[in-house]
Amino acid sequence: MSTPSVAALVLALAVVAVVAVATRPRGASTLDFYLAGQRVGVATNAWAICGDYLSAASFLGVAAAVYVSGLDGAWYAVGFAAGFVPVLLFVAAPLRRFGEFSIPDFLGRRLASEPVRLVAVGVVQLVILAYLVPQAVGSGITWQLLVGQGVAGLSPYATGVLVSTAVVAGLVMFGGMRGTTWTQAVQFGLLLVALLWLAATVLGEGFRYGDAVRELSAEPLTTVVTGPGGTELTTEQNQIHPDGSATFGEPGARYGGLGQFALIVTLALGTAGLPHVMNRYFTSPTGAAARTTTVWVLCLAGAFYALAVMLGTAARALVPGAVADHPWLADLTVDGVLVVPEHALPVLGRVYGGEAGLGLVAAGALVAVMSTIAGLLLAAAASWGHDVYERHVNPRATQRQAVRAGRVTTLVVAGVAAGLALALRPEAFTSVTPSVVATMVTWAFAVAGSALTPVFVLSIWWRGTTAPGAVAGMVTGVVLAVAVFVAGSLAAGGLLREVLVTPTLLAAPAAAAVTVAVSARTRPPAGVDAAWLRMHGTAADRQAERLARLTVQQGAVEPAGRGASVRPAAASHRRGRRARR
Amino acid sequence: MDDDVDARDAPAEVDATFRTLRRVAVGYFVLFLLAVVGFPALSLTLGWWSDARLAGGMSPGFAMAAFGLYVFFAVVGVAAARLSGAVEARMLGDDARDAQVASTDAPEGER
Amino acid sequence: MRGGSGILAGVLAAGWAAVWLVTQVLVDPPLAVLPTVVVGVVCSTAVVLGYPSALRGPRVARAPRRPAGVPGVRRPGLAATGRSMPLRRGLTPDAARRTAQLLRPALGGDAIAITDTEQVLAFVGPGADHHEVGGSLQTRVARAAIERRRTVVVHRRADVGCPVPECPLQNAVVVPLAIGSRVVGTLKVYRTGDEPASRATVEDMAAVLSLHLELAEMDRERHLAADARLDALRAQINPHFLFNILNTIASKARTDPEEARSLLLRLSDFFRYAVRQDGHFAEFAQEYFFVRTYLTLEQARYGDRLQVRYDIDPQVLTTRVPVLTIQPLVENAVKHGVADKVAGGTIRLRARVDPLTRTTSIRVSDDGVGMAPEVLERITSGRRPGTAPEADGGAHRHGGVGLWNISQRLESLFGERYSLDVESEAGSGTVVDLRIPLR
Repeated sequence: MSTPSVAALVLALAVVAVVAVATRPRGASTLDFYLAGQRVGVATNAWAICGDYLSAASFLGVAAAVYVSGLDGAWYAVGFAAGFVPVLLFVAAPLRRFGEFSIPDFLGRRLASEPVRLVAVGVVQLVILAYLVPQAVGSGITWQLLVGQGVAGLSPYATGVLVSTAVVAGLVMFGGMRGTTWTQAVQFGLLLVALLWLAATVLGEGFRYGDAVRELSAEPLTTVVTGPGGTELTTEQNQIHPDGSATFGEPGARYGGLGQFALIVTLALGTAGLPHVMNRYFTSPTGAAARTTTVWVLCLAGAFYALAVMLGTAARALVPGAVADHPWLADLTVDGVLVVPEHALPVLGRVYGGEAGLGLVAAGALVAVMSTIAGLLLAAAASWGHDVYERHVNPRATQRQAVRAGRVTTLVVAGVAAGLALALRPEAFTSVTPSVVATMVTWAFAVAGSALTPVFVLSIWWRGTTAPGAVAGMVTGVVLAVAVFVAGSLAAGGLLREVLVTPTLLAAPAAAAVTVAVSARTRPPAGVDAAWLRMHGTAADRQAERLARLTVQQGAVEPAGRGASVRPAAASHRRGRRARR
Repeated sequence: MDDDVDARDAPAEVDATFRTLRRVAVGYFVLFLLAVVGFPALSLTLGWWSDARLAGGMSPGFAMAAFGLYVFFAVVGVAAARLSGAVEARMLGDDARDAQVASTDAPEGER
Repeated sequence: MRGGSGILAGVLAAGWAAVWLVTQVLVDPPLAVLPTVVVGVVCSTAVVLGYPSALRGPRVARAPRRPAGVPGVRRPGLAATGRSMPLRRGLTPDAARRTAQLLRPALGGDAIAITDTEQVLAFVGPGADHHEVGGSLQTRVARAAIERRRTVVVHRRADVGCPVPECPLQNAVVVPLAIGSRVVGTLKVYRTGDEPASRATVEDMAAVLSLHLELAEMDRERHLAADARLDALRAQINPHFLFNILNTIASKARTDPEEARSLLLRLSDFFRYAVRQDGHFAEFAQEYFFVRTYLTLEQARYGDRLQVRYDIDPQVLTTRVPVLTIQPLVENAVKHGVADKVAGGTIRLRARVDPLTRTTSIRVSDDGVGMAPEVLERITSGRRPGTAPEADGGAHRHGGVGLWNISQRLESLFGERYSLDVESEAGSGTVVDLRIPLR
């Protein structure tokens, strides 16, 4: 590993660390630790949500999926971006207005039921783990490429997994949500810079997007398969027209007809149930601000994914030509096709930016991984520390104890995820899925979209939802999602399999139906009207806006003692209002 | 200035707003679903969708997946957010009183 | 074709143009004809279906508050009509000046003056330096024409009667302007040459102007009448209502001070709104605000006996509706429907917009005691229920005055283009259906 790439990496990580230290919360209340005191500005929060959401699956995975499967891979980008539309329509504002700590807390309070809370904690943990593992895998892959050697006798992959999870766990324990907000916002900035730089460079070097797509579509799509006699190149069979071969610009390289729908629906519905993304909404100052935030996220994420798809195409078009000039590429490719598709972006960075370019892209990838891991760990800490520890283990816990419980949870969850990531060998999946990281993230989306989203949306928009209904719905969703997925993995292939591997299409309607059916037979909780006033009324919003306006009018004069917290509140409200006009 | 002028909504008002917002959300969701499901459906049924070449050299289907859908999502998002915000502002609270508080500098009775 | 339809047509055309551009011009090979047509039809259908929400729905959180004027007056849309015939808006100096400028070439005069019975409203042409606008009638001929109510033609400079010696005006034709048989002013055509202007032409023009003045007068009277009805409605806000609400608030002040405080604020909102409206139209959202303020107060009074259900389209919120129209309907439903029913009842307010027929429909329904057929017949027969002093008795029983007032006001605002239907059956409630043109 050369000096420039190390320098770029160290610089990027140093920026993140400095921000984390500078913005760490002074007080140590649970509200500050989990929710940054519920005062995060619209723009800041939008960037932080992007940093939280855009993980290794988006940064490395989308480009890799496009690299391997062309248009079928691009559906990942579409699905990831689409996920925020249902969030905006159904979830953002009411969720924030109801204003609890986490998804389990929201469901528990809304349905006035502890069993719902506990079941939701279980589902949330499952989603978080399913999401954490691919992030750890992504960091391992990046480390492998960037550093290429392990520490203390570990393999490079294992070192990457361990180092990144350890660093992030440390940051989260130290910084809490406030620290994490700024860290994640800066991290998304870094990601965007990395992608923009790469896109600008590639375009500057004469890459023509449209022409590249046309040329790539002219010949069959090839992929590397690790067979008994080493690696070899094969053409992809078209899944839609089995007699033909797949091409880059046409559907069918990876998914058959139904599979395309199943994938998009899975990704689009999953986002609304992702605990770490939803937890970010609780930090908005008002419900309206949460909505505005989502609009920002839609725009930012859209730009990000459009770039990622373009760069995946660029890698497909440019890497074969670069092999001759760059001898180091020979080890990574077979006849100009990358063995590990996740290497697409880093390789592109190294080809056009030398070691520093590789450093920047790798830093972007690691940062993407780290910011998502941070969000996930925080969500895990919030649901364990707040929903289980404070309510069931030690109800009389002091704030200090509760925060400590959250920190311990952070460590445990990080350790479990790292262990699972170490147990998985990414190479084993390459021939099965377009991008191992993107595919593994899909599992998390499937569970979230099948179990959490239907119950979530129903409890917000239907008065009749009851606790037994919600429990039945969540259990149905999880069981069906996991069962169908396992069945799909065992199935031989064909149409059945592709639907089964992305089970939301089946499990989400089932979960919703079960929730409705069970709810119809049970009595809704007594406090529905009060819940409705909080969830759909804007009284608290108006109050907050009025307060903020008064604060702004009083100018820079800050009440003594509250200085640190009043300032960001005023600033965020001003931003919120301006953004909405 | 009193800082908590009427921090209450009547249940019936909230219920009305909720219904209207639900109608807005469901309407936009159907639009969203049609687009998200429609584009892959087009690529399966209409050969032209993936075979034709736009000016740049991409097929319409690829162009949609590469740029078009993100723009569409953003447009749907902006439209839905603005409509919901406007509905809430008009159906809950009192804009006159809010406006009054907003411009305490302006002489009273001018409005 | 009014505003919204124009936009709709434009968007449809633009949609087809875009479809053509994307499927036929920018693409190689072009899309076949059938799929193209299908795409176009799908787009058009989507536009038409989405039209109410995409083009008519509220877009900004708070619309700038326009000074709501009397419709037909002070409204920019009518400025165009006003330009072609300014006197349609009444005999004002501004309208007179513009009329004079407009008529000078047509009448073949060198100078044109328009006066009312007291003073010169406009003078255009040579001599304008000393025939000052706003000055009293200087010439004898004008007074003569007003008094005799007929045309006066003078051929000699001395008879024109201008006291200024340098005045270039040599002769004049003076025609009175009349509304019915009442003379309200004169039209004067002066010439600097020898021959006066054609008497017939000037008289014809004066007749046309008189007609326009008459129309303007009718407009004004109509709006005066509408204003008077609005004032009557405001004055009609029932003192009993105020006493009842104040009693409710007083009793809540002890048990639930927060609620009492909130109710007091609502009460002040209610009166502020009723007094503040100075035009005939308001945004539906504002009227809705008035209605829900009122109903919140009534709900505090009746408790669980009064349930309210609103069902409102987002597109209705920005439409403009006549002020103080919906609340009296709702009040009737509370007073005469639900209040008399022991078990209480539900009031429903439903508001919709139909963008294609361009109507706003508002329905107020209750499941209260309803009305006997003969009472319904009396209310809907269109007769005013009793004379003013004893009206309260009848009105108190069945809200006849409120309904009569509303229908009279709607008629003066919309003419025949509205409908107000009342359906009722004793024991099963009342439904009031109001349809007004979308504006």
